[in-house]
Amino acid sequence: MTSFQSTLGEDAGIAEELAENQQAISIAEFFEKNKHMLGFDSGARGLVTAVKEAVDNALDAAEEAGILPDIYVEIQEEGDYYTLIVEDNGPGLTKESLPKVFGKLLYGSRFHVREQNRGQQGIGISAAVLYSQLTSGKPAKITSRTQGESDAQYFELIVDTDDNEPEISVEETTSWDRPHGTRIELEMEANMRARQQLHDYIKHTAVVNPHARLELREPKAEFKFERATDQLPEETEEIRPHPHGVELGTVMKMLTATDSHSVSGFLQEEFTRVGKKTADSVIDSFRDRHYGREMRWRPPAPQERIDLESIVSDATANKGADATAAFAGAIAEAVDDRDRIAHHELRADVEAAAEATESEHGTTFGETVRENAVEAVWLALIDAAEEDESTPGDADAAGDGETVDSRLVSDLYDLADDATSTRKDDEVVHAFADRLGARFEDKEDVRHRLTRRALREYVDRAAELTEEYDDVAFGDTARENVVEAIWDVMATVPDDLPLVRELADDRDAASDLVDGMRETDIMAPPTRCLSPISADLIEAGLEKEFDADFYASATRDAEVHGGDPFIVEAGIAYGGDLEAEGSADVLRFANRVPLVYQRGACATTDVVKSIGWRNYGLDQPGGSGLPNGPAVIMVHVASTNVPFTSESKDAVANVPEIEDEIELAIREAARELKSYLNKRRSMQQRRKKQNVLGKILPEMATKVAEVTGREEPDIDDAIARIMNNVLVERRIEANGDGQAVSVVVENNSSTTETLEITDIVSAEPRKLSDGATVVEMDGEWFVKWEADVGSGDEAELEYEIADDAAFDLDVKGVESEKLTVTEGDR
Amino acid sequence: MSTQKDQQAREQLIDLAAQFYDQFELGEIPHMSVPTRTKNNIEYDEGSGVWVYGDRESTRSANSVRGARKLLKAVYTIEFLADQLEEDRSSTLRELYYLSESWDNKEAQFSDQDESNGLIEDLEIVSGVTREDFHMRPEESGATIMGPLHLREQTRRGEREIHCQEDVGEGGYQIPNNPDTIEFLDSDADFMLAVETGGMRDRLVENGFDDEYNALIVHLKGQPARATRRIIKRLHDELDLPATVFADGDPWSYRIYGSVAYGSIKSAHLSEYLATPEADYIGIQPADIVEYDLPTDPLSDSDKNALESELEDPRFQTDYWEEQIELQLEIEKKSEQQSLASHGLDFVTDTYLPERLDAMGVI
Repeated sequence: MTSFQSTLGEDAGIAEELAENQQAISIAEFFEKNKHMLGFDSGARGLVTAVKEAVDNALDAAEEAGILPDIYVEIQEEGDYYTLIVEDNGPGLTKESLPKVFGKLLYGSRFHVREQNRGQQGIGISAAVLYSQLTSGKPAKITSRTQGESDAQYFELIVDTDDNEPEISVEETTSWDRPHGTRIELEMEANMRARQQLHDYIKHTAVVNPHARLELREPKAEFKFERATDQLPEETEEIRPHPHGVELGTVMKMLTATDSHSVSGFLQEEFTRVGKKTADSVIDSFRDRHYGREMRWRPPAPQERIDLESIVSDATANKGADATAAFAGAIAEAVDDRDRIAHHELRADVEAAAEATESEHGTTFGETVRENAVEAVWLALIDAAEEDESTPGDADAAGDGETVDSRLVSDLYDLADDATSTRKDDEVVHAFADRLGARFEDKEDVRHRLTRRALREYVDRAAELTEEYDDVAFGDTARENVVEAIWDVMATVPDDLPLVRELADDRDAASDLVDGMRETDIMAPPTRCLSPISADLIEAGLEKEFDADFYASATRDAEVHGGDPFIVEAGIAYGGDLEAEGSADVLRFANRVPLVYQRGACATTDVVKSIGWRNYGLDQPGGSGLPNGPAVIMVHVASTNVPFTSESKDAVANVPEIEDEIELAIREAARELKSYLNKRRSMQQRRKKQNVLGKILPEMATKVAEVTGREEPDIDDAIARIMNNVLVERRIEANGDGQAVSVVVENNSSTTETLEITDIVSAEPRKLSDGATVVEMDGEWFVKWEADVGSGDEAELEYEIADDAAFDLDVKGVESEKLTVTEGDR
Repeated sequence: MSTQKDQQAREQLIDLAAQFYDQFELGEIPHMSVPTRTKNNIEYDEGSGVWVYGDRESTRSANSVRGARKLLKAVYTIEFLADQLEEDRSSTLRELYYLSESWDNKEAQFSDQDESNGLIEDLEIVSGVTREDFHMRPEESGATIMGPLHLREQTRRGEREIHCQEDVGEGGYQIPNNPDTIEFLDSDADFMLAVETGGMRDRLVENGFDDEYNALIVHLKGQPARATRRIIKRLHDELDLPATVFADGDPWSYRIYGSVAYGSIKSAHLSEYLATPEADYIGIQPADIVEYDLPTDPLSDSDKNALESELEDPRFQTDYWEEQIELQLEIEKKSEQQSLASHGLDFVTDTYLPERLDAMGVI
């Protein structure tokens, strides 16, 4: 292979030559060559994408201005060329910003904003303009009128791909009948092969934007989607990033850019959900990682016969007996007061003792004296003091004549013994503590300062040796428990933090900070930056566009992925006019934008396929994959930053946190579907039973009458009872010149039933029984009666009426499958 | 007499239909309760010494589609039986099953013969009329009798007087499906010998055992039909003949003896009419296997289980049966009746039976 290294003598100039050929390319030029990345890979798809970008823009514009969107899309066909017109009733664009919005890629207000919006990068609509000019050679024609302006602005422009700037060819004022809004006209080489996707996009947009009115006019067809609500989505607010989920690079950039000097200030200023307390937690966590913690040892117990006072006294020279004694006494007391003590804590105690003695005795305790005291006491505490000839005998007293453990070992032994399972042999734990103690003793830094990782290494080493020499298992759990126990007693050090600008240059320290942020428990980010559709409006949207029997929806609480909050919503429509053959439709949405391409690559589809739909009463061949049947399953992911698989924003990436929420949302809605289907099934069974019994029992009655030679028996009551039905029977009995009417309700079901009975009669009823009311309307009397009838009970409505009165009995409150209404003579 | 009985049976069936009618009229769910016909609901009646149904009942109710179909079939069957009685015809259980195919209502047709058999049993129990009185016959012809018995049978072609030795061939007198049509005239018999297998019956007849010992040899043909059990009962009760059962030496044969003596699960409602608690068991006893050194087969697992469950069975909770069954479980062997032939063809009539019957005090 040819080498282009410039060091090769004879080709000395080649690097320069090559360098000459290297030049920056404009973003517009880049996308010109990579149209597919933006969803303009074919004529069919290009048209859909252009519609999508224009409509998304239009919706965002109207919503931001608090206007209920009213959007008109028209597609005109001229041979291989199509003209796309999209009009909105948004606030319009100013003369200054308009060319840039349409004629400059990556121009937009939202890229740096953590807030839910349809568009984010500011690529979409200008890419559509670019696509149009590339395929048709014609400029985009844009009209815009802002509120209150008498005239509209008209522009014809293209994107200058060399420098990614708009190139305006026509600029004039014009008149427009809309009071405000924007109209864009693009001509492009295209075809209508993706008509289905286009329709899906528009229809699905109507589903998730029930507040928008949409109209689509094609060469041969026209579709209108009316709004289902006048309620605009709640306005979203921008938020700062959340500490969980920012990456190291981002943090380093933020560190460079911030005005804060202290780390604490930086955290509170630049992140959401970080106050003083959280900042302190993060900082402690950072210190533990960056500096490590210091081991705190137990102060000497009385039987240990370690006389701290004399140790201090011995270490303090030339300070006068009283002052020395007071100094030593104060230190000994302070140490003794603590449960455990770390080097820096001892240091603080000594400082305090020195200050106190100084003020009391007027003797100066300088830095050296303090140092000496700290060192002397600390070495005694960690058993590292140079031993006198006489001490071994003394120390032996505690150890019953055996080899005496160092203070560290006995301390560590107690910690390890508590932390490991009781089954561990005492000897083994002891041997382990011995080895672990040795690691501390060997440490050059007598302050015993360790990061957790280093501590784990110590424990691992000691455990390995124990396993090797004592031939016992010292497993991962035991090791981790020991680490946990020791880490718990260790103290975070008070070292001064680096300044923000120092951190910005120190990758390792910044990384420790990021780790510290992730480690700390921080409240989930606020969700006012998100605008979910809400469960009610999802159902309204589905009802509007799909004629089904059943609708369910669910909106989850906000969660976080990568520092961005997100909300997942799901909706299910079932039955009715939905296509029963084949698999259910999955509608995918991100920030209220329908995703129509790359279904198979989308996390949403993956989750839908992974759910066991049979549990929810849907048919699912093979028990996995898309369910079959007349169902529509919709999923909406709203986030300040929806992770897509590509720039064309067709599919949600497989982020585990999002997938989990999608699953939970779908399952929530599916549970409702399940109970609906179960109920429907039981009603179907009831109907079936009713049908069969409705045939068998009369036949049986006929036969019984035949065999016994009697008249056919009345079987209504028996049937009502069998069906656990509610039987409503209207009986009449001649009563002088009128008739007595009685409506008897017999509840054979297992629950109390509440019935609303209306008997509309053509004459005025008299002597109504209690609880019933009568209202006259246009010569008809409405006898109304509401009855609560307990299981197995009967209730009766009575009144009198003229003989020839016509009637119409209506019963509500009981499912028709459970109701038997009969009329007859008493 | 017979017509009057038929009339009575017919009325009882129609009463049953009327009961459904009244239930309809009262707004009740039509239903019919019958004792549960399972082993768990069979009780030993100390008084009569036979098996009868316990208190557990199952209800056939029109509450469910299944129950409603059952009742519809019941009503159709009642109509059919009533007509049959009216016309003085009879049919077999299997014919009833096929006949239902001709009914105008598909829902009333039987899906298998077990269903129609079961329904007939239900009607028998609920109406208190026996199947025979419905003029329903089983498929298989009844078993046979050979021996010194003179009787009169009511046949379709009038009354016939028959002597069960002189008027019959080698095959013996064929027991009719309804033995209640028989009138016993005279008998020289001293006892009944009910034999399980055809081979052994033929051996006894060939060896002239009936003549020599004045025995009525009744062929059981395996698990005995109701007619066979009924006639044994009648012969015992009316002619005061001791009943003995001669079967194979295995647990299944003990059950044959049990159904002759105490009744069976399926017909426990008729135990008092069919069972002869005084019947004695001749053999083959497990003790005989040892005593006569008979050729044997080893007990299979199902044999052992059957023996174990017989130990639990109140019918066999006597010292005699416990001893025999425990012995058999111990030797783990069984023998057939015809294994006696290992000692010669005449051994059974010359030696075995006389010795056993003598020991039992029958002769």
